[in-house]
This record gives sequence, C-alpha cells and structure tokens, in this order.
Amino acid sequence: MHYESNVREPLILGNKSYKDITIDVARPVETAAPKAWWIVFSISLVMFLWGVGCIMYTIGTGIGVWGLNKTVGWAWDITNFVWWVGIGHAGTLISAVLLLFRQKWRMAINRSAEAMTIFSVIQAGLFPLIHMGRIWLGYWVFPFPNQYGSLWVNFNSPLLWDVFAISTYLTVSTVFWYTGLIPDFAMIRDRAINPVQKHIYRILSFGWGGKAKAWQRFEEVSLVLAGLATPLVLSVHTIVSMDFATSVIPGWHTTIFPPYFVAGAIFSGFAMVQTLLLIVRRIFKMEDYITIQHIEMMNIVIMVTGSIVGVAYITELFIAWYSGVEYEQYAFLNRATGPYWWAYWSMMTCNVFSPQFMWFKKLRTNLIFTFLISIVVNIGMWFERFVIIVTSLHRDYLPSSWGMFSPTFVDIGIFIGTIGFFFVLFLLYARTFPVIAQAELKTILKSSGESQKKHHDPHGAH
Amino acid sequence: MATDKVYWKGFDELANTEVSQRLAQNEFAGEIPVEQFLGDEKLMGSAQTSRRDFLKYLGFSTAAATLAACEAPIVESIPYVVKPDSLTPGMPTYYATAYADGQDFASVLVKTREGRPIKIEPGDAGRFNRGTNGRAQASVLSLYDSARLRQPVKAGAETNWETIQADLQQAVASSVAEGKQFVLITGSVFSPSFKSVISALRQNYNNFVHVEVDAVSSSEVLDVWEALTGVRALPSYALSNADLVVSFGEDFLSGSTAQQLSKAFADRRKPGKGMLRHIQVESNMSLSGANADKRIKIKPSQVGSALAYVYNQVSGNNVTVGNLSEDVKGLLKGISAELSSAKGRSIVMVGGNSGANAHLCAAINSALGNIGSTLRPDLPVFICSGNDNVMANAMADMAEGSVGALVLVGVNPAYNRVGFAEALGKVAYSLSLCDRLDETASLTSAAAPIPHYLEAWADFTPTISELALAQPTIRPLFNSKSALEVLGALTGNTQSSKDWIKGTVAGFGLSWSQTLHDGGASLSNNVSISLSETSAKALAGAGEAASVAAEVVEGDFELALYQKTVGAGSQSNNPWLHELPDPITRAAWDNYITISAKDALAIGIVNETQSNGALNGSLVTLKAGNLILQNVPALIQPGQAQGTIGLAVGYGRSASGRVSDGLGVNAYALNLHQGFGAIRIEVEAGEHEFASTQLGNTMMGRKIVNEVTLADFMTDPSGASWNEKPTYHTLDGIKTADESNLWTNHDHESMHMWNMSIDLNSCTGCGACVIACHMENNVPVVGKAEIRNFRDMHWLRIDRYYSTDMTEARAEEENIGAIGKYAAMEVPGESPEVVFQPVMCQHCNHAPCETVCPVGATVHSREGLNHMAYNRCIGTRYCANNCPYKVRRFNWFNYQKNERFTDVNPAQDDYGRMVLNPDVTVRSRGVMEKCTMCIQRIQYGKLEAKKAGQPVADGAFTTACAQACDTGAITFGDVNTSGSAVQVAKNDARSYHLLEEVGTQPSVFYQTKVRNRA
Repeated sequence: MHYESNVREPLILGNKSYKDITIDVARPVETAAPKAWWIVFSISLVMFLWGVGCIMYTIGTGIGVWGLNKTVGWAWDITNFVWWVGIGHAGTLISAVLLLFRQKWRMAINRSAEAMTIFSVIQAGLFPLIHMGRIWLGYWVFPFPNQYGSLWVNFNSPLLWDVFAISTYLTVSTVFWYTGLIPDFAMIRDRAINPVQKHIYRILSFGWGGKAKAWQRFEEVSLVLAGLATPLVLSVHTIVSMDFATSVIPGWHTTIFPPYFVAGAIFSGFAMVQTLLLIVRRIFKMEDYITIQHIEMMNIVIMVTGSIVGVAYITELFIAWYSGVEYEQYAFLNRATGPYWWAYWSMMTCNVFSPQFMWFKKLRTNLIFTFLISIVVNIGMWFERFVIIVTSLHRDYLPSSWGMFSPTFVDIGIFIGTIGFFFVLFLLYARTFPVIAQAELKTILKSSGESQKKHHDPHGAH
Repeated sequence: MATDKVYWKGFDELANTEVSQRLAQNEFAGEIPVEQFLGDEKLMGSAQTSRRDFLKYLGFSTAAATLAACEAPIVESIPYVVKPDSLTPGMPTYYATAYADGQDFASVLVKTREGRPIKIEPGDAGRFNRGTNGRAQASVLSLYDSARLRQPVKAGAETNWETIQADLQQAVASSVAEGKQFVLITGSVFSPSFKSVISALRQNYNNFVHVEVDAVSSSEVLDVWEALTGVRALPSYALSNADLVVSFGEDFLSGSTAQQLSKAFADRRKPGKGMLRHIQVESNMSLSGANADKRIKIKPSQVGSALAYVYNQVSGNNVTVGNLSEDVKGLLKGISAELSSAKGRSIVMVGGNSGANAHLCAAINSALGNIGSTLRPDLPVFICSGNDNVMANAMADMAEGSVGALVLVGVNPAYNRVGFAEALGKVAYSLSLCDRLDETASLTSAAAPIPHYLEAWADFTPTISELALAQPTIRPLFNSKSALEVLGALTGNTQSSKDWIKGTVAGFGLSWSQTLHDGGASLSNNVSISLSETSAKALAGAGEAASVAAEVVEGDFELALYQKTVGAGSQSNNPWLHELPDPITRAAWDNYITISAKDALAIGIVNETQSNGALNGSLVTLKAGNLILQNVPALIQPGQAQGTIGLAVGYGRSASGRVSDGLGVNAYALNLHQGFGAIRIEVEAGEHEFASTQLGNTMMGRKIVNEVTLADFMTDPSGASWNEKPTYHTLDGIKTADESNLWTNHDHESMHMWNMSIDLNSCTGCGACVIACHMENNVPVVGKAEIRNFRDMHWLRIDRYYSTDMTEARAEEENIGAIGKYAAMEVPGESPEVVFQPVMCQHCNHAPCETVCPVGATVHSREGLNHMAYNRCIGTRYCANNCPYKVRRFNWFNYQKNERFTDVNPAQDDYGRMVLNPDVTVRSRGVMEKCTMCIQRIQYGKLEAKKAGQPVADGAFTTACAQACDTGAITFGDVNTSGSAVQVAKNDARSYHLLEEVGTQPSVFYQTKVRNRA
C-alpha cells in the first residue's frame, strides 16, 4: 500500500471508517433538502426563467434588442462565452492533470469541479448559439454533406475551430465525469430503500458489480480519459483565444493570447471551484473531506495563475509600446485611460492585485477571505474578457467609427439567466449525485486519513 | 418510306373482319366485370385492400390534405394582355425629365422598371443643372409617400374635381361681383406654360393678383438685380473663369444650382498650376466653408461692413464701413489683396437675403471687372423669383378681408410665413392645390391634389437659354389634376396639360419628339442685358448700400438660418433625407442650433456623451423680438463663429406626414426674412437626445485622409515626400505591406478587376452618393432611435474629420505625454479645417472578413470584389468586428416587418415598397450586408456587352454613388482595361490605400487632398 509521510497534512480529517465516508457522501442524496437549498434553488430557477424569457425575446425579435452596434459587434455575449468556458477549465485540470500528476488532494474536489466544468460549458455553449443572427441556421457551422451546391464550412475561421473545440471538450468532460460516477451511483443504488430511487440509480450505474476486473478496467479507462482530457485543458482556451488573436483588430491581434488565456481560465476556474465548494462544504457538512488544506492548495493555484495573468497584462502593454504601431499603442492606452478605464482598472485590481494576498498563510487559510477573493477573481475575469472585447472594438482604426457599448436589460437578463441555469444544474446535482468521489477517496483513507496517520506515527503516543 | 409502313395486331385486323371492327370500337378488348362486382355484396365484402394499397391511399390522402391545408400566398399581379413595345420585364426604361420642387431644379433621367420609377439619375450632359443632389435623388420616394392627398377635399370631407372646379369658378365670380381680389399664390414660376395661364387669368379678371413666394426668400437680392439689370433673376456664376472664389456666407455648394457649381468648382480645383482658390467668410460651418482653403469666422451682421471694407480696398473708394475688429480688418485686407491681384479672374459671392449686401457684392465684382467674366448677370437664372413685398401686400389685403378668392399652388405659407394663417382666416374662399394636407391646406376651404413631378407634364425655363421638359413616368397614383388645367379652366381653356406644353414647345419652334427625348432644348437668348450698364449701376449704388449695411445692429447673439439636406421643407416627409446625416455635424433626424464651444461654456450649454456613446445636448429657448421658439436642442459646432448660432429650416412640421411630424423645431417661426438676425438664448431645463452617425471627430494623428498643400504638391509631383507608402523592416529588408504578406495573392490580371478611385480633392461631402446608394441597394431606413443606437445601415458613409490643435510635433515640443496628447487630439480645434472621406466596403483582396466567417458567407470574387452571400450568412458578426474600415452593416431587426420601423421604413408601406429596386434582394433579419460595388450594375453591364459582342467598354456603366457624384469624385471601372479612367487614377501620384499598413490590399483607393495654400 501507498505510504504517505506524516509531514504531509492529512486529507481526510477525523476518525473515519469506510462506512463513515459512505454515509457522509450519501447523506445529501438520501435526506430531505435543507431549507437553504430550497431558497437558493428557487432564486436560481427564477433567474434561469428570466434568462429563458430574454433569450426567447432575442430570438423572436432580433439581436437588436441587445446593446450592440455597428462598431461593437460582440460584447456581453462573447464576454460571457469566454468567461464560462474559462471557468470550466479548473474541473478538467483538477480531474485530469492532477490525476496524471498523482495529486491525491484532488479526490475530494474533482467530482464537483468536473460537474462545474460541464455546467459552465453548457452556459458557454449557449452564447455562440444565441449570438447568431439566424440561430435556426446554426447547424451550418457543422461540415455536413449537403445539397446547397455542396457548401462547406470555412476551415480558416477560428469560430469553426471553436465549434470543434467546445463540442469535443463537452463530450470528453461528460464521459470522463460519468465514468467516475459509476461506482458511486452503484453505492447509492445499493443503499437505496425507495424502489423508484433504486431503479433510477440502477440504470445510472450501468449494472456496476464491483468485481476486481471491473475496478481494474475502471482505473484504466480513467487514466485513458485523463490522458485525452489533459490536452483539452490547453487546447480549448487556446482556440478560444484565437478568435481574437487571428484577427486584425489592435488589442486582439496578439500572439501572447493562447498561454495568457489558458492561465486566466485556470485562474477563474479555481476561483469558481472555491466559491462552490466553500458553500457545499458548509451546507452538506463536508469539512472533514474538503479540508483547509484543500482550500489552501487551491488558493496557491489562484495566486500563481493570477500572477501569470498579471505578467501577461504587463507584457501586452510593453509589446504595444515596443511594437511602435500607433494603433496598437493607442488601443492599450485607451484601455487604461479611455472611456472604459474603470473596466480596465477593475480587471487589474481584481485579477492582479487581489490574489497577491494569498502570499500570506493566514489569509489563504481564512475561509471568509478566500470566499471573498474567489468572487472578486471571477468578477475580475469577467472584466478581463469585457476589456479585451469591448475596449478593443470600440476604438479601432478609423476614429469615424469609434463608438461605445452599453448593455440593455436583455444583455443583463441573459447573463443572469445563465448564472441561474448554472446554479439550478449545480444544486440539482448536489442533491442527486454523490458530490465527492467516495470510491476514489476511500483509496487514500488508509494513507492520508487523520486517524490512520496518527496510528502510523512513529513519534506518536504509542 | 418509313411512314408508309402499316402495322397490324393480327390477321383479323388486316382482313378487317367484323369482330375486329367491333373490338376497335371498345376501349377495353375484354369485358370489365363492373356490374357483377358492384352488384354482388358478398364479393364486395370479401374484397381485400392490400397493405400496399392501404398505405398508398393513406399516403395520397395525407399528402392531399396537407397540400389543401397549406394556404398558397395570394400575390396580386396582373399580367399584360398586350405587352407595351417599350417595356420588357426586367429591363429598365429611362425618361428624361426635369425635377423642380419650388426650391431645386435639376435635369434628370428617371429609371423605371415595370412601369414604376425607382431611381433618379443625372440628366444628359449639357442640360442645365444636370445632376442630382440628395433631394433630387430622394424625390422618387416622395412620389410614393402615402401621406399624399388622394382625393379633393372640401370642408374636411372628400369630394370630386367637378365640385372643386365649380366652387372655384363660383368664388372667383363672386369676388369679381363684390369687388374683392382674386389672389393666386405660387412658388417661383419659371414655366412658360404656367406663365401663359397667369397672363390669361390677368386678362380675364382685372381683380387678379399673382404672388410668388419662396420658402427661403431671396427677395431683396432679386430686387437689387432687378434694379441693376432690369430682369428679376439671379446672375449665374462662371466658376470656370475664376481663379479665386471669395464667398461671404453663400453656401454655393449646396444651393439650388449646386450641381452645376460643384462640377465647375471641382473641375477648377484639379491640383496643379492655376488651381482655384476658395476663401469662405461665414458664421455657420457650411458645406462650402468646410471645403474652403481658408475660412474666416464673422458674424452675419458684419458681412455688410466686411463687404464695404473689401469694396473700399479693391476700388479705392471710401464708402461707410461699420464696426469691424482690427483682426477681421487684417484678414479682409489680405483677401482684398488677393482679389485685386485676380481682377476679372475672381468672384465674390454673398449669402442671405440682404439687399445692401447683395449690392455691395455686385459693386466689388464690378470694381474687380468680374462682371461678364465670372459673374454673368446676362445669363440669369430664373429658379428663384419670389417677391416678399407683393406677398406682404397680399397678406395685408387678406387680413383686411379684401380678398374674395385665394388659390395656392404647391406652397405652404401657413408653415413658413409668420402671420399667414391668421390672414387666411379672413378669406371667403381659399383653395390649396397641394400634394398633402399640409399646414396651409388643412386651413383652406378646399384642398385638391396636384400630381408629383414624376406623374405630370411640365415645362421650365430655368435659365434664359434653356427649356426643360418634365414628362410623366407613371400614371398618377391618386386623383390629382395639374394646376395648369385647374387654372386654365377658369379662363375657359380646357386643354390637357400635355397639349398645353406641346403648344408651348411648338411656340419656341422646337420639335416635340426631339425635345421630349432630350428632356429639353437650348433657347436663343432674346433678352439683352447690358453688362457695362449693370457694372456702372452696381458701382453707383455702392455708397448708399454701404450706409444701409453699416446700420445693421450687432446682436449679442446672431442667428443665421441654413438648410440641411432636407431643404426648405417641401420634402420633409422623406425618410431618406432624414436618415442621411448632416455632412458637417453628422447628426440625423433633427434640427438644432449650432453654437461655438466657448459660447456654450459661457451660457451653460452642455453636450455629453452617454454610456452607449450617444450624444445628449441642452435645450434652449430662442427669442427674436416677441417671437419665441422653445425646446431647441443645442449642438456644439467647431468652427462656429463666436456670438453666432445656426439653425436649419425645414423642420418642426405639424402636418407633413408620420415621418416628419414633430421632428425638430420650425425656424421660420422666428420670421428672419433676411436669413439672419439678432437673437436671445435662454437655456432650458432638460436634455435632447441626438442621433449621430459619427462620434469620433478627429483623425487622432493617423494618416486617414492624406493631405498636402498645393505648394508641396507642385515642388514634389512624384508624391515621395507627401504620399509615402508604409514599409516594414523584415528579415529580407524593408518591404511594403503588399510584399510582406502571409497569403497567396489572388489572380488580378486575367479577368476584370473592378476598382474604384475616390478623389478627396473633388469630394465636397454633400451626401448625394449616400442617398443614391440607399435607393439603388434597398438599404433599410432605421429611424432616429436606431441611428442614436449607432446602427445606421448606410453602405456608404462620408466621414468628416476636423483638424485638432494638438499634433505629434506640438506634443513633442511641449513635452506632453501620450495620455495628454491623445486626450487633446480628440478635441476639434476652434477653427478647424474639415475633410470629407466617403468610405464604403474597400473590397480588400486580402479581406479580414473573408477568413473569419465560419460558414464562408463572404468570399472573394475573381474580379476583385468581396462578395456577401446573404443566404449563407448566419449572423455571427465576426466579419464586421474584423473589418478595419467598419463598413459592414448587420440587420439587427426585421426592418420590413418590425413595428418599430413602420413610420420610417418605406419598405413597410404599400406605396413606399414600390420604390424598391427589383434587382437587389431585400435582406432579412440576422444577416450582414455591405457595399457590393453595385454588382447588379456590373452584371447588367457585362451582359449588355456580351449581347453586343463587345468587350466591356470603360465607362459603359458605373456604380450608383459614382453616377450621383456631381463633381466626379468617384471613378469606377476595370483597372485591367488599359487606359481606363480608374487605371489612370490608380497610377496617379496622389493615389493611396486607406490603412494600407494593415495589408488588406483594397480595390478602393483614394486620391490625396490638395489644399490651395502655401
């Protein structure tokens, strides 16, 4: 068996047995929902329905109900798209990359992180659809054989690359997530008393029997899928960044975008994981599994990626000056000092300045502070995309076309709607799915559990 | 022979037996057991419908039911029973005609398709004022205005022409009986047939009074010229003979003969030796002022004194000069010196309606020896002949109750003459012959529709040597009758207007068919005006005029009225004219006062940009004497003289139609008959929302409009120093944008290569091309709210840039940082130079839009064009974002159906829809659109050439914008045709690509603007 040094902090607190873990993980599924859940769920549902209404209004009337204009052709739609895609990245990073790097601390959080990935990619996927002027012809972005004179898609277009990147990402993430869920669904199935519930979980668990051969294959599949998902962590946001990087618009046309976007995505994704898990941990009393150490680890990731993003911002400014291109120089000067200076400095404050607090152990282990910073980072990352998209577009080459953008209630409503939709999905997930990968977690109980560690401690009491 | 062969079925048939004969009678050879089958119930019961049959029946019946359920759209179309010879569906027919709406006159060609006029194009070369300004272009839509009056109306109820005619006859008869006047009010009359009906009326009725009134009066100026020449007409300007134009507030580039003058102006401003120099002295920033080489700001009240000062300088006389500051005197001295050195080769013009100013101007021209060379009183123009004194007398008579019958023809004095509505109330019987129930017609006893100029016969003598004919291009849409016929009937003359005009043409000794075909003919000049006498009279009266001019009191604020593209008001219900932004302010759908930044600051007027980029401005109240105009928006205008404001007429209509009612304020209500006057301004509470199409006003130090002074142009004709191409330092050395690109080049040689050259030196910014493009390409009208949302749909726009006081050099000199420098660069100077730049799709050969479309909806043609396949577009807008020129326009709404646009978009109106060009698709919501370089015209031209078996000739066809441009600023053609105009232009030293450094390789290029100064 794997032995872990006592120097390392335990990953499961308290004197837990395998059964304790089972009971703790199954509890939210088996007990009635607390009042808080209902309140949050109702609010989310209303937000979601409001968003649905705004989307229907848009599709029924035209993109004109948004605040876009002849100069600024994308604003909140693509900002939200990139923001949501970015958020998704943490889940894949945690479950796939950390698996390959054998980071055991991922086990308590990977399930929820991955759920977050899928739910946020669903939100992200909505925007490229509804931002189309003619959504009913949206299927034309797929290269399908046809009789329209055999029209083909344009493989030069980064938007087409997006189509492939996002759909691949959603598929692989979902399969990976679901594979991990099978033994846990089986666990709930085995415990279920209600025949209906039992039947549903039986279907969901694909008749998992828990044979050794099954476990072996499960491990293999997980590893293969992790291998498949790992490049996606880098590729998806790289391709999203190319929507901008391959264009000719000053402020978009930047070779630094791929790494900068990936770092930003992980940055915002971890912040969102923090936000969600701090709530889940509290509501479902999972403090023993999602420990301060987990929080601290994630805060460190936030701090590192936040600093990478900060370096990227400064590099952009330097390159704009160094390039000697007047349009490029003006674009960045305008970001910092033009009409949208407040967006730029909000971004700078939230993304570069605020994560620096995480250098202090006291702060990065403080739950309330972490929660606040996680929200601030997500606000900052939303502004980053807004700054890139809107402040680059609103003043490009010809001053005669310079304009401004201001959102309408529909722009705002759709964004709120996706937040509502995301939480509706996440809250339903939290009540019906095992929120911790208990089968995996049990594998480290003996090596990383607090009581087990004490038991092995050579310098301990015995 | 094959046909001789006979085949038979058997020997029976060959033998023609009885049996075979019988069988041949029956359809079926064997007996069919129908009776047996139907009669036997058992057999019926046992009969089985097979599964196959059942499915067949089900399939057929479902299909039948489905088909029956689909309601086929019912399209009302009536085919020709006998096709007219002149009309082939799908082929345009052109008619030469003349456009005159009481303000403008233009010789035009009307393009009709399937019997509908759809486009106004410039008339034949050689016709007077051939060409189309914005109003002439847009006039075809006024034909389809559903607000037009459709039936005669009497006391608010519909009636018929017989009643109208009988009532009129009766009223005129009783006015004779009662000893009261019979008054006819018309616009300026320069139609020989109409003049003959007026003289007939004068003969028949000795109480008859004819009043001519222009919405924007030139009455005092006409009085001066009448006194000088004996003919009540304005002189014409011969710019072709001029080296120097000095205009005191006269906006000759947008006046009623602007087509003629713009062309001559542009021709004389070809860069090189002897290029015309233009100095404008004015208060408002006019189109002419924006095009001037030098512009001097002055208050309208000082114009007279300035003219007197210049007169003294150039003539050596010493007439009275009013108050002028030393600065202004210094500038005027310079102008006078320039004028003196261009004697006989210069021209001085004056705007407004001041007799004293007009006389002083004539005197200066006389002193300079310009009369007869650049100023031609011997070639008078009759377009404008209104007489305010006669009108004032008539109104006084009306108010006294001494007018028994009043007929108004195509005029709207209740809107544009203060006090007319009250006077009208005292008239026993009044009839308005009008196109709509306007402010006047809704007050008269009766109103009856007259035809639109595209529906009617008419004749004009716009100048002393020109006859122009107008012919109908469509059957009258409504129950209208020509004023000629209505008034003619009063004199017992019942001939049709066509016969009348035919008679007039015959009277001139001209061939009817030829004159009709040509749209007019030249007349021999039979009025002799003595130039020397005119000159002498002008000089003689100068002293008197100067003392009148010196008495003009200067106000703290002075208002000078001007006209926007909408004009004086007769076409104010035309949405195309409102949608076209003002060339200077770039604000659409509004009138407002223009005020200088300093004055605005001093009296608390604010212009603020909102979070969505739109502009809000303060509201003010204007007071002229006891006349008050409230809720007037104020717009800060760079280049506005301090202490002056400008306000456009033609707005503030209340009974014009749903497009224009309630838009803006009525400037005529201030009763400034001279076109300017002292005014008081009070700032009100509240804000006005402007709708601007351009928010960035300066070039921010970028090379967008390339400009050079004439001196530099002359010293370096190659352009190396003033038209430098951007280059890049690469591994392989210094390269141009074209040489250092990643893409493979398209084949530019083996096919046509459609290119366009835009001469920024010739473009005056008038905007006729924008309207031409609008109508040619069915561009939707989106209205004020959407323009404010920065979503105008113009495929072609004319960017206007002001110069700024901050330059790179100055920033370096004064050590101003980048932030401060760019902030200062955004602010236009107080006396800025103005440049105009028409921008449409540049048809890049390495187009950024083409690579980013996911579905390949925008692709490159082999003829150098960038195509847009509307059907394929899914509306991601990525192409528009990636366009460095921002010329792509997205259909944000369904403009053809959405009720937001019902009032403004002609495509939503059953009449307005008739103006749509059948050759161009009306785009649906959610697709991108943009300039196609009039691909329908290219295709048509290519097909015509193919049918003729000829190569496509240079200039055989052109784009709508190029065609509409009076100055010839736009040249279109195949750059692969050797010697084509566009090829010549491409190789010109002045030619450059907009944003060449982006590497887009546009098919459109610009010619550097040259300013005539050292």
